[in-house]
Amino acid sequence: MSLHDPRYKARIASHLAKYPDRRSAVMPLLYIAQEEYGWVSPRGIQEVAEICEMDPTQVKSIAGFYTMYSERTKGRYWLHVCTDLPCALNGAETFYRELQEYLGVEEGGTSADGLFTVEHVMCLAACDKAPMLQCNFRYMESLDMEKMKAWIEEKRAELEAAGQGQGA
Amino acid sequence: MRLLLRGRDIPDLHELSVYQANGGYEALKKALAMQPAEVIDEVKASGLRGRGGAGFPAGVKWSFIPQNEPIKYVAVNADESETGTFKDREIMEGNPHQMIEGALICAWAIQATAVYIYLRGEFWDIGDLLDGCIAEAEAAGFAGENILGSGWSCPVYTHLGAGAYICGEESAMLSSLEGVLGQPRVRPPFPAQKGGGLYKEATVVNNVETLTNVPWILGNGAEAFRAIGTEQSAGTKVFCVSGHVPRPGNYELPLGTPLRELLVDHAGCDPGNIKAILPSGGSGPIVPGTDEVLDTPLSYEAMQGLGTILGSASIIVMDNSVDMTWVASKVTKFFTHESCGKCTPCREGTYWLDKVLDRILAGEGKPEDVQLIDNVAKNMAGTTLCALGDFAANPIIHTISNFPDDFNAHVQPKPEEEKPAASAPRRGRRRRASA
Amino acid sequence: MAETVTIVVNDREFQVPAGANLVDAARSIGDLIPVFCYHPKMDPVGMCRMCLVEMGSIQRDRASGEVMLDEDGKPQVRWFPTLQTACTAKVYEGLVIRTDTQEVDQARENVLEFLLTSHPLDCPICDKGGECPLQNLTMEHGPGKTRMVFGDKLNLDKHVPLGDLVFLDEERCIQCARCVRFQDEVVGDDVLAFHERGRSLQIITNSEPGFDSYFSGNTTDICPVGALTTADFRFGARPWELTDVASIDPWDAAGSNISLSTRLDRDADGRAIVKRVMPRQNEYVNEIWISDKARFGHHFSRSADRLAWPTTGESRATWAEALEDAAGRLREAGEDLAIIAGSGLSNEDLYALQQLAKGLGSSRLGAWPPTHGGADLIAQVGVGQGSNLGALGSGDVVLVIATDLEEEVPLWRLRIKQAADRGALLLVANSRGTRLDDFACRQLRYPTGDGAHFLANLQQEDEDIFGRLRDANNLVIVAGAEGLDLAGSRALMQAAANILVETGHVGRPNNGLLSPLPGPNGMGLHYLGFTPENTIGIMTEPPQTLLVAQADLLADDPSAPEWLGKVDNIIELALFQDTLGNRAQVVLPIQSFAERDGSFTSGERRVQRFYRAQGPVGEALPAWQVVARIAEVLGQGRAKASAAAVMLELSQQVAAFEGCRYRDLAWTEKQDPPVGEDLWYGGTALLNRGGLGVQIPAAADRGRVKVAAPVLPAREKVNEGDFRIVPVTRLYNRERAFRATDIVWPRVPAPFVLLNPGDAQRLGVLPDDTVEIEVVDGPAVQVLARLDASIPAGSLALPRHLTTTAMPLTLSAGRVSKVTVAADARVSES
Repeated sequence: MSLHDPRYKARIASHLAKYPDRRSAVMPLLYIAQEEYGWVSPRGIQEVAEICEMDPTQVKSIAGFYTMYSERTKGRYWLHVCTDLPCALNGAETFYRELQEYLGVEEGGTSADGLFTVEHVMCLAACDKAPMLQCNFRYMESLDMEKMKAWIEEKRAELEAAGQGQGA
Repeated sequence: MRLLLRGRDIPDLHELSVYQANGGYEALKKALAMQPAEVIDEVKASGLRGRGGAGFPAGVKWSFIPQNEPIKYVAVNADESETGTFKDREIMEGNPHQMIEGALICAWAIQATAVYIYLRGEFWDIGDLLDGCIAEAEAAGFAGENILGSGWSCPVYTHLGAGAYICGEESAMLSSLEGVLGQPRVRPPFPAQKGGGLYKEATVVNNVETLTNVPWILGNGAEAFRAIGTEQSAGTKVFCVSGHVPRPGNYELPLGTPLRELLVDHAGCDPGNIKAILPSGGSGPIVPGTDEVLDTPLSYEAMQGLGTILGSASIIVMDNSVDMTWVASKVTKFFTHESCGKCTPCREGTYWLDKVLDRILAGEGKPEDVQLIDNVAKNMAGTTLCALGDFAANPIIHTISNFPDDFNAHVQPKPEEEKPAASAPRRGRRRRASA
Repeated sequence: MAETVTIVVNDREFQVPAGANLVDAARSIGDLIPVFCYHPKMDPVGMCRMCLVEMGSIQRDRASGEVMLDEDGKPQVRWFPTLQTACTAKVYEGLVIRTDTQEVDQARENVLEFLLTSHPLDCPICDKGGECPLQNLTMEHGPGKTRMVFGDKLNLDKHVPLGDLVFLDEERCIQCARCVRFQDEVVGDDVLAFHERGRSLQIITNSEPGFDSYFSGNTTDICPVGALTTADFRFGARPWELTDVASIDPWDAAGSNISLSTRLDRDADGRAIVKRVMPRQNEYVNEIWISDKARFGHHFSRSADRLAWPTTGESRATWAEALEDAAGRLREAGEDLAIIAGSGLSNEDLYALQQLAKGLGSSRLGAWPPTHGGADLIAQVGVGQGSNLGALGSGDVVLVIATDLEEEVPLWRLRIKQAADRGALLLVANSRGTRLDDFACRQLRYPTGDGAHFLANLQQEDEDIFGRLRDANNLVIVAGAEGLDLAGSRALMQAAANILVETGHVGRPNNGLLSPLPGPNGMGLHYLGFTPENTIGIMTEPPQTLLVAQADLLADDPSAPEWLGKVDNIIELALFQDTLGNRAQVVLPIQSFAERDGSFTSGERRVQRFYRAQGPVGEALPAWQVVARIAEVLGQGRAKASAAAVMLELSQQVAAFEGCRYRDLAWTEKQDPPVGEDLWYGGTALLNRGGLGVQIPAAADRGRVKVAAPVLPAREKVNEGDFRIVPVTRLYNRERAFRATDIVWPRVPAPFVLLNPGDAQRLGVLPDDTVEIEVVDGPAVQVLARLDASIPAGSLALPRHLTTTAMPLTLSAGRVSKVTVAADARVSES
């Protein structure tokens, strides 16, 4: 595993080509690092620093500033539940609490099967479709707990079938 | 009348062929036949004001760009992160080419060398969509090298943020694009000035909605645009309606439409059950749901007259069941989470306010605590490096002034619990005599 | 006189320099606008909001340009609607501010209240207590009471090591970013940054090793609170217990002005010892910065293995016996005496040695180490009197050749980097890459050993570069000796001098020659007649009697045992017990720079005083006094009573030191920016009370310049398969004196060599493999391999003094082979 792996070459090059300064590619490259390692690992930071010709301190600083980079390991499905005001007016806080209970996790925690990490986040620009969340940065909107439970079990079943339900 | 949300009327408008079949990129062709200064004049004449929140006249902003700089940029602010705002998302999903075309017209007008579209990180899918649109536009000669044979080249790039409200602030957005920490920087120099923009080059920063208006203005003329809306607020506006609303969503209406028409006629609210309205997401002053408020036209000037702002027109409606102390806490948590930490009053103030509000909501507050948060918020306002400090102060100051009872209800000592406080009572602050 | 503008402060008009920062301008007229994040040495960022003032402009009629008046006939002022940060404003004609209003007063109180909500109340145990801007400004402007509930405060880590030398107290940090900005803007090592955001914002380092910079200690000076403290000083003493003694960085040619903060200390039996080292402001020399070596390297002075008493033979002697013994041997030697003096000796010591030799009829005065030639050329065409690297900028050119300044004279590297930031064209020439390349406009490369040829032929070989040197407003050339032998080094200096003379860049400020001569007193050695050429002469034709003063011959020179063996008598003046082993018949203990008065002559020819700060070790005496007492026994006259008296005579006897009496050297003037005067800007860049020194004029400053053709040495051939071994300098190494400074040990790398990756591949060497380097007819050493693509094929760079095995002083040749060893037999660190 490495960002220097050939399969990232074209993507990294296309990002580097966008900017007059390599340093500007740090954000897209941190996403790639997160994709590669499942989180923004120290090694990922080091590799991004090498590619962007930055001190690793600066890369870590960028990674720490933004909420979408995780400096901790995550479950396979990273659920960002909006509990901001418009969603909260439409039951998002209850939805989030029930989701936590269903998965048996605290804020920021990962379910025992290692599949689901849940966090509450600020407004995701889907206020008219509350409650909603993003799973791995893709929208899931107009939710309720019944839909969520079904989705969760579907994912569990999928992975069970694939024989990799445990550990992450 | 839809100038922007045309995606609702025209299926597959995100496809270049469909967009072109509906007049797409004709405005760019028209602009390229004009002198850049003429394009700026046309946009100035249209009275188009920035839709990101500040309402600054777009054409005037463009005219600040120095003409002789070899490198200039357009940065499209697609970091839509204000609580309750989801208009740019729909514009970009439904009508992406019109925004790209608008950005390119702006780029021609200032003779920019590149366009960067800064998307909030959560718009990952929109990033993919726009990348596809840009590639299509480039292949058709509307973007990239030698646009429409004019000899002028201007590539368009997308850049994803990663979850930071502050990157919607223009100088923080430029810093973030440059790969440094996304914190606001001192202005002047402003982005439009050499030294203040992207990579220190003169840069126009405009919101998605602002630029999406531009092709229509070029295509139909400034006069036609001025004919929509009010004297000082020309054109339509996409209003995001959310909260306690039967029919939440985006509504594109002429500026100056009364709030009542939007909320009652379109969104289906019961005018008798509106306790409060946040007209500009979390950041603008809250107003009560009175008739006076409901009868106010949704224009920059009228909302200012009401003591609030139109801002990004993200209208959050709260019914009579809502406790405004909870709202203040909710919005404060947003700004506490989103404060970049660079300047003292915002970094420390948001944290402090959040702590006190938590205590008040937990029933552990004292009457002085309400005065305290009001005073702390007022001490933040007007003293911070960027506007976020003011935004964070607003929900406290205006919820307390409009709904004092909601706060007092939490801090009145309950008779049976009256006993000596565990800690010494906090007194009012000592005032130092001025020298 | 610079152009001035009129500003109005609290209704009074003032003339201030045009374009000045408002905080600085207001301060210059006595209006103290409080600041935390602002620092006059860095760009303003407007973060802390402490400097908010009411601000406006006098209105002028657009058509006529006339000042518009109100009904009372006073100028109309257009005020900003809100308070503005003074630190981000530059003064201009018609700027009006108010700093004395209720609103401003309230804003200051508010900002302090905000800062104090997160700040702990641990002033009583805080190292900064007593010299803390936050403490001072809170007393001045802060609220008397807190409205923050104590339990709401964040509890954070109070002992975060940022590397080995600096600690962070996260609770005390006020996020002013001075440290981050210093590392980025001033140093260019951006190894500090903020992590997280909002109230969670914290300083971090993620470099390897942590806080990887030679200038890290400066962040503790400019930190306006007690958040950053040094591993050296934290919990060591209270500032008000300390006495600051002016001194000079004893490690390199920059001559950084430092303060030794001393205290009568329990750990030193109640005697004064140095508790910390801080910069002392001298805008010509080091501004307010020092290297970490200057800051942390003082510990050797109290090392347990300092030489404490005289020995003769191998037994302890009284001073009387030892002096008698030494004098007897010198009397016997007569003319057949030579002296080798190290660069750590003061001008006074060197003068005493010179006089001793003269009295005995010898003129064999050698400088140690004999690596850098051409100090005489610095006396000729060195940087002009009044030069200031801080004045170089746009239109100027700095050429740095054959040196790794980061490692050799870090302060020069810092200031030259800043010159490049201000627009100076920085050219860095070497046969390999060095740190300064990162800041250079052009990197120039030449084959290993070809530095002198490269510069001598520059006009023919590279008209473009030569043209830039020729056309520079100001031109400074810094020429080192890396990859050169002594003759080559001299030739390079001559070539550099010739370019300076030919292009008219001599005899005026900010133009001329510099060289990273080893040690703090390379130019003192020159002016007092000690030359490396003499040293080579002594090595080839050893005298009957040799006096060695503070020179580590055995550690530096692998041939020393051989040639020292031909000397009958060795008299040694030394700081440590084991320098020459048992080869010396008489060993006399001398005091370090921290224990006595003296002066050094820096690479910029600035004669600067240092003062006695702590008690002596055992019976050690100042070197000049030891020498003068020997001379007294020899009947050469009475020893002087003080270093001042020695310098008085020196200033009368040696033309270069004319005007360098101690009181001349103690002369000071107001420094701009006035950082040292008080604690206003935070930190403790101390007021310079000890003197700014006197710069000896170069001959060119007086219109006398000699030009000579450089004598280019023949290019030495290397045997097939052999490598050219280039000794290079590492700032942190295991040199005798520095080795005694344990606090820096973790930062001294394991012995290594830099190899070209192609060569490494050919040798089958991977990074961190152990290789043996065997010098032709010389020593061998085992070190770790590091690969560096900038090293020319067939060459290797071998840092000096990382092992205690002496390796050739200058360029040599030898074989390299991979060593296969068991894991437990890997290279040890000493």
